[in-house]
Amino acid sequence: MVSKKIKEVFTLGIWKDNPVYRQILGICSALAVTNLMLNSLVMGLGLIFVTAFSELTVSIIRQFTPKHIRMMVQTLIISAYVIIVDILLKAYYPAMSEALGPYVGLIITNCIIMGRCESYAQKNPPLYSFIDGIASGMGYTIVLLIIAFFRELLGFGTLFGFNVMGEAWVSWTLMIMPPGAFFMLGILIWVAYNLFPVDEGGKVKGGATNI
Amino acid sequence: MSKKKKRIVYPVVFMLLVTITFTLTLALINEFTKNRIAFNNELKIKKTLLYVLNIDIENNDNEYINKTYDEMIEEAIINDTKVYMASKDNEIIGYAFPIQGDGVWGAMNGYAAITPDYKQLLGIDFVSHSETPGLGGRITDSKYKEQFRYLELESENGIYIIHRPNSGGNVDAISGATGTSEAVRRMLNEDIDVFIEAVGGER
Repeated sequence: MVSKKIKEVFTLGIWKDNPVYRQILGICSALAVTNLMLNSLVMGLGLIFVTAFSELTVSIIRQFTPKHIRMMVQTLIISAYVIIVDILLKAYYPAMSEALGPYVGLIITNCIIMGRCESYAQKNPPLYSFIDGIASGMGYTIVLLIIAFFRELLGFGTLFGFNVMGEAWVSWTLMIMPPGAFFMLGILIWVAYNLFPVDEGGKVKGGATNI
Repeated sequence: MSKKKKRIVYPVVFMLLVTITFTLTLALINEFTKNRIAFNNELKIKKTLLYVLNIDIENNDNEYINKTYDEMIEEAIINDTKVYMASKDNEIIGYAFPIQGDGVWGAMNGYAAITPDYKQLLGIDFVSHSETPGLGGRITDSKYKEQFRYLELESENGIYIIHRPNSGGNVDAISGATGTSEAVRRMLNEDIDVFIEAVGGER
């Protein structure tokens, strides 16, 4: 029973109800950090950490939280975890902290976190909320990695910094620039919609829009 | 409980408690990592200074970098201008000074170093910038930066750096990042001129 529900949470978060290509959440950071796979991976890990622990905390205190101030509480919780990630990166991984620059702080504006806290953690027990955070974060990370794979490969000829296309490869500059991300994301959403048509009668989650 | 929630006191107290808990947690984490972050920032500046002064620290650990820095570089004042003076075997090999300018998307900060006779540029490096990654961001690539190693400083009306293929050109701009290249060129011309004048060198 428990394992079945956990499995369901994972398939929803990563596959059927993927935050990026299904709920169209977290697009701004998906466009911003995907020019290198390593950046995307660290950003994704940061988001998994923040989403999972924010959902856990929100879920634990959900019965004590007055309904009309819950947004305020959620924002506070999320920002606290984002600052923790920022501090940890600065202290133990300065090179990555520099590469991600302002985007670490911008994890807080990622609608996936608030969306999941509001639509899932408010109504479900801590364990499932925590797992839902991990699942949603993984869904986001996987999409980021797919986009970054093509952008880095075509734009730099490398993967995770290792040269795979050989010296003769001519970098496709457009791919590293923001428009490259737009095209890649558009293609990805298109492919996803064609491969797995939206179940019209299905339950649609999420709902918040993002810039 | 439901009646209580409608009161104003409970939400305020609740919010206060949550805020205090998280602020305390953050303060603790900050306290634990403060020294490490300061150390990282300091180390980065030291690395940059050693690089612009062309002191080889490639593939060396933090301890070695700190040691080399302490041995070779000291802060000095020349004509009221603060410089980082590097010396080897009691012989001055160069002066490093901060450079600053506006890039395409934001401020650029870095260091440049110059030989003691003010005739050659030793090197340049950037500490922070917000240029487009992959385009303007390539100013931090060694291929670009190495162009400035031992660059002869021949001034014509305070202009030292000229992009090729203009006449007298001595540096290649980055293709696809004309704005950033121009910004770097402007910044260097200005700051080198100001620096040489300030320390009283012959222009």
